[in-house]
Amino acid sequence: MESLAISLSEGSTQVASEVRVDGVIDTATASQLEEVLESLLKRGRYKIIIDLAGVEYISSAGWGIFIANIRDIRANSGDIKLANMIPSVYEIYDLLEFDNVLRAYNSVEEARLDFGERISADPKKKVPR
Amino acid sequence: MFKRPVKEISSEFSAEEKFLPSIQRTVRESCIAAGMRRKEVSAVLLATEEAATNIIRHAYLYEKGVLRLRIVIYRKLVVISLIDFGRSFKPDSSGTLDLQRLIESGRKGGLGFYMIQKIMDSVEYISSAGRNELRMIKRITSRPSMERPFLRRMSTLRVKFSFWTFLIMAVIIAGSFYFIDRRTSQQLYNRLDETALALTKTISDQAAGHLLRSRSATEFDELVKSYIRANTELEQIVLIDNQGLVIAHSDDIRNIRKPYQAPPEVGTVAVGEPFRYVQGGQELNFLTQPIVWNGRKLGNVFVIYSSEPINEPLHKARERAIQLTLLLLLFGVFGIYLLSNYFVRPIGQITRRVRAFTSGDLESELPLEGAEEFFEISRAFNEMMTRLKQDRENIVAREKMAKEIELASQIQQTLMPTRLPEVPGLDLHAFYRAASVVGGDLYDIFEIESGRYCLAVADVSGKGVPASLVMSMLRTVIQISAADAASPAETLVKVNEYLFTNIPGGMFITIMLVFYNATGRQIEIVSAGHNPMLYYHADTGHIDRINPTGVPLGMPAMIEGSFGDKLEQVNLTLEDGDSFILYTDGITEAANAHGEQFGLDRLTSLLKEQISVDRDVTSRLICDSIVAELDDFAGFEKQADDITFIMARTAFGSESDEPPATHGSEFITVDEPSDTGTG
Repeated sequence: MESLAISLSEGSTQVASEVRVDGVIDTATASQLEEVLESLLKRGRYKIIIDLAGVEYISSAGWGIFIANIRDIRANSGDIKLANMIPSVYEIYDLLEFDNVLRAYNSVEEARLDFGERISADPKKKVPR
Repeated sequence: MFKRPVKEISSEFSAEEKFLPSIQRTVRESCIAAGMRRKEVSAVLLATEEAATNIIRHAYLYEKGVLRLRIVIYRKLVVISLIDFGRSFKPDSSGTLDLQRLIESGRKGGLGFYMIQKIMDSVEYISSAGRNELRMIKRITSRPSMERPFLRRMSTLRVKFSFWTFLIMAVIIAGSFYFIDRRTSQQLYNRLDETALALTKTISDQAAGHLLRSRSATEFDELVKSYIRANTELEQIVLIDNQGLVIAHSDDIRNIRKPYQAPPEVGTVAVGEPFRYVQGGQELNFLTQPIVWNGRKLGNVFVIYSSEPINEPLHKARERAIQLTLLLLLFGVFGIYLLSNYFVRPIGQITRRVRAFTSGDLESELPLEGAEEFFEISRAFNEMMTRLKQDRENIVAREKMAKEIELASQIQQTLMPTRLPEVPGLDLHAFYRAASVVGGDLYDIFEIESGRYCLAVADVSGKGVPASLVMSMLRTVIQISAADAASPAETLVKVNEYLFTNIPGGMFITIMLVFYNATGRQIEIVSAGHNPMLYYHADTGHIDRINPTGVPLGMPAMIEGSFGDKLEQVNLTLEDGDSFILYTDGITEAANAHGEQFGLDRLTSLLKEQISVDRDVTSRLICDSIVAELDDFAGFEKQADDITFIMARTAFGSESDEPPATHGSEFITVDEPSDTGTG
């Protein structure tokens, strides 16, 4: 069985939580990621960046986690942003038209900027970089 | 439909997740061997994983099972079939899945099938006799560009045909031109040679006379010169004696008495046969004739004459022949053009027709004309189109229906109570199963006020979305009307008043409404043209059909009396162990393959049997056995109507206010819509 490694970074100064995933997200490993996401949501952290640089493959179980939670997250003015997809993963993302649902970024920084830009509309909050 | 497969691979796996990588490997190797692009291979792998996981999880529920993988590779496509022998599950709402809806629902399930459909070009689910096959087809897109090379484009049937016919025609025409030309020139030469020969003979005769009379050199000279003057084609005349010495020479008198030298170009010459040679760009003919007198040879005449005189007629003849040839070629090309058109036109027609067909024109047919072959093609094509058209219409109709059913059943799902209240003193169980064509059944159980409950089973006439919409209204209207009504009869009158102005004409509703009073264990029953209630008396073991009079809701203005006047209310007090069932005609009118209906009698005896076997049997168990019996009866017949019923029992020895053992949604059994009666 393929394995999955997840590391989470959420600085207090950062608006978005960053989840770095390595390995294969399939039926066997998807639950790990789901737990991490759920723990984030429970703590009210709805702005999430998933760094997929180290992910070789995402099965429907994996996509399902993003899809299943996105409605709640958006309802809480948050978002899931996918960063650093490798070409083969991106092709699937594109083929399945997930681009209508989840936004993809070339880097974590770009994703952060996108979160930041929205927040910058509110002058009281600091724009994170 | 397809050409012969290039390769077929079959393998069998145990349905366990640990074999997924092996399945993936087989699929990957096959796809690569089939020439699929890398990008597509990974997509197909994903789809296969989804499908296999589905089978392991949902068809076998992680139990032991067999997963058969069959890959058939054609030149342009790959068919991947996953076969299992587990639970048949129709991938829900096939074809109409969309991502937005999945997100709205927040479900993770369904995504797998969405992905399979997105990735594959065609997905089919075939389930029969315990064998389920998910057949996925992926086309192999060819890697090279679609632009056809020039040579290929030029090698149309028409071009080929024209080229070969033109070639054959040109060869024939050129051949005949050559033949005609040769014949004309031969004739002209013959005439020239004959004239020259005749002249030579005359000269020879005259020379013989001169020789006999021993004429002077001047006279000989005069003889040859006069001939030269008279005949422009003659170039030279030379006379020699039998010692080979020149007697007369038309060109130069100084050659006399010298041995004769023929022109260097002239080889061996036969007597009387012209020898043709070219000198100074001019064609000349050399002819010799002996000078004979009474069989005695006196010398020789040598004549050189030019071919000049025939040049012009020859030229003219050639010109005419070339003109004729060109004319023939022109006609030929035109003919080829017409011919190729004639042969190719039907192909063009068929092509255009097929194109039109692919872009949606299903109507026009190919005219049945032309050569036998095209006639056959056209006929076959027309047949195919008719068949396809029918299929398409069927598919469109089916899709439309499926969409409507889906929509209707979605509405219906939201209408049915998701949780039933706890009704003290009653063991309640409700069952609902939508037919493949959505009917308009409804049931509801709710608390009107403390200790008073309302049970309702209704059947809206008609099916599909309209019926569902009316149902949704009906449920709300009943709940509101019951809230401040003293009796079910009063409730129904109010409901009818409301519906009468708010439902489309021609639609009506039958309903049985029961109010249950928990403290006195009394029930009040009204029926608006609905099926009779079956009531089991525990003390006598007898089953009554309770059928209070009443007309259906929403009926147009009646000739006499009002809706309320016709409505009868039956009041009963429940004794220990008494049971009753409210149902719709989905049960009684369920038919088997012979068209026989399940009927009220069967239901009655089934109910009696269940209770007599075990007097403490729960409503739920009775429900289950009714459904089992019903499915058994219907066999593989399609369920035509919704099946809905509420089963209610009072327990032995319980005097009311004890809550039933079961809670909440456990009261309800809702079956997924199914195609066959066996759900």
